[in-house]
Amino acid sequence: MDFGSFLKAPEIKVKIVTYRDIFQDKAMIENRFGKEYRDRSAVIKMDSADLKQLNVKKGETVILKNSFGTVVVKAEESGYEPSHRGIAYMPKSPWSNMLVSDETGGTGIPKFKDISVTVTSAKGQKLTELGL
Amino acid sequence: MEKNYYVCTGCGMLCDDIEVDVENNKINKVYTACRIGVAHMKDGKESAAFLVDNKPVDETTAISEAATILKNAKNPLIFGLGTSSNEAQKLAIELAKKTSATLDDASSFSLGEVIEALLNNKTKVCTLDDVRNKADVSIFWGTDPSDSHPRQLSKYAYFPRGTEKQRGWEEERTAICIDVRKSHTAKICGNYFFQIPPGGDAEFIDALIAALAGKLPKTSYNFPPKRILELANILKGAKFGVVFVGRGLVYSLDNLEPLIRLMNALNEKANFHLVPMIRQYNTRGFNENLFKETGYVNSVKFEDGTVKHGPEYSVVESLKEKTVDAALIIGSDPFSILPRSIAKNLLEVPVIVLDPCETLTSRNAKVYISTAIDGVESGGSAIRMDGVKVDFKPAVETKRPSDETVLKKIMEAL
Repeated sequence: MDFGSFLKAPEIKVKIVTYRDIFQDKAMIENRFGKEYRDRSAVIKMDSADLKQLNVKKGETVILKNSFGTVVVKAEESGYEPSHRGIAYMPKSPWSNMLVSDETGGTGIPKFKDISVTVTSAKGQKLTELGL
Repeated sequence: MEKNYYVCTGCGMLCDDIEVDVENNKINKVYTACRIGVAHMKDGKESAAFLVDNKPVDETTAISEAATILKNAKNPLIFGLGTSSNEAQKLAIELAKKTSATLDDASSFSLGEVIEALLNNKTKVCTLDDVRNKADVSIFWGTDPSDSHPRQLSKYAYFPRGTEKQRGWEEERTAICIDVRKSHTAKICGNYFFQIPPGGDAEFIDALIAALAGKLPKTSYNFPPKRILELANILKGAKFGVVFVGRGLVYSLDNLEPLIRLMNALNEKANFHLVPMIRQYNTRGFNENLFKETGYVNSVKFEDGTVKHGPEYSVVESLKEKTVDAALIIGSDPFSILPRSIAKNLLEVPVIVLDPCETLTSRNAKVYISTAIDGVESGGSAIRMDGVKVDFKPAVETKRPSDETVLKKIMEAL
């Protein structure tokens, strides 16, 4: 168990891998400023043991933070096996892109599928709205 | 009765078997298309919008404002064009020359390198029709077509009967998925899903090449050698194999050398082809049109009759280093698709947006023109993800001008 678990508000570090979701894509075409697109985008899928360590139940909101941005999204259990503690998944969207590093090593290719963040409980805070 | 088919421009597959019901110039029903295609085909809008500073203006004012921005810029960025017709893309290249612009599309941070390799004949390629008619082994590597190209498996790679594959997926086709996540496609592949850790692709390629040569495959993440040897045996027996390459694989590699090496190793033992899983309907068109003109597929800068190329002329580096002083964004939404930490620099320059949809970028643009959706409201041609040219026609009428029309008018106004 790592140090974060002993903090008053437990926090863990995860690496986020982004992916494409057909239902989210359809929602974007229909209304990219709509509730359905937000609800299907502002989501992180985590290992159930990571959620337990955070003391967060599935469906509750969490704060994802790094030096590039902070977003509040809904936490879900990935349901994936085998266990993937420390790795989480998010549909690619403006929400995940708020956390992507600007470090590219001059290649022109950001690390869209390799995002390091800390996760803490958002204690009921609402999902981050789409905006600048 | 002869059927009236339309082409869906919802993704790079350009499905050409779409039927629609139109009532009062609106598409009510869409047949044959996938979930994304149905939403896309129904997304038309009759009325046009021309905005300057988010206030409605007439078309002439919007075009004139756009031309003024480009005229005053020393190094404008022209970016997007993945959802524009070949005809519009060729005009955009001319416009970039005329305005000494930096020109790029989203392939610079996705599959551009793969397309460049294919255009330079670095490996064997085939069409999607070849896949349907002949393919017995398909590998989906770092791609999940069930979500990104939903009809890929049913129309081409796995489920259909082809001319030389009459017994279909039950007996004659094998679908293999190599990915970091058990995607919907991975589930279809069943026991042929090979789950590797993020960033583990290059090592898996090396291990697979070793297994193809009959050596013991090793990975630092201890992937069971027996399973890699089993995979190698299936691949060795392929009469017509295809590797569908997605962003997941490309982002995991430093460069394409391991992939090309794998394709060569596969072709020493069997017969394998590479197909890039391009998402936007005419990204390949942009890459090919620019390649014909300059020898490069993206990330170029025109200056004094010459063309410069390199990652420093990509959208990401141009914005990050603030080397551009205006932007013409066509059919793309950098504020949504790029890291916010980089896209925010667009707020410091005048931006022109041509897009059928209102976007975060259009809401923060100096000029916004709502353009027609190609294949729904305007016609033209495009290059499918496998390199096949496809013509498309509009299904409904709109007052919204096409990208091609707007670009022509901007050129005239310059």
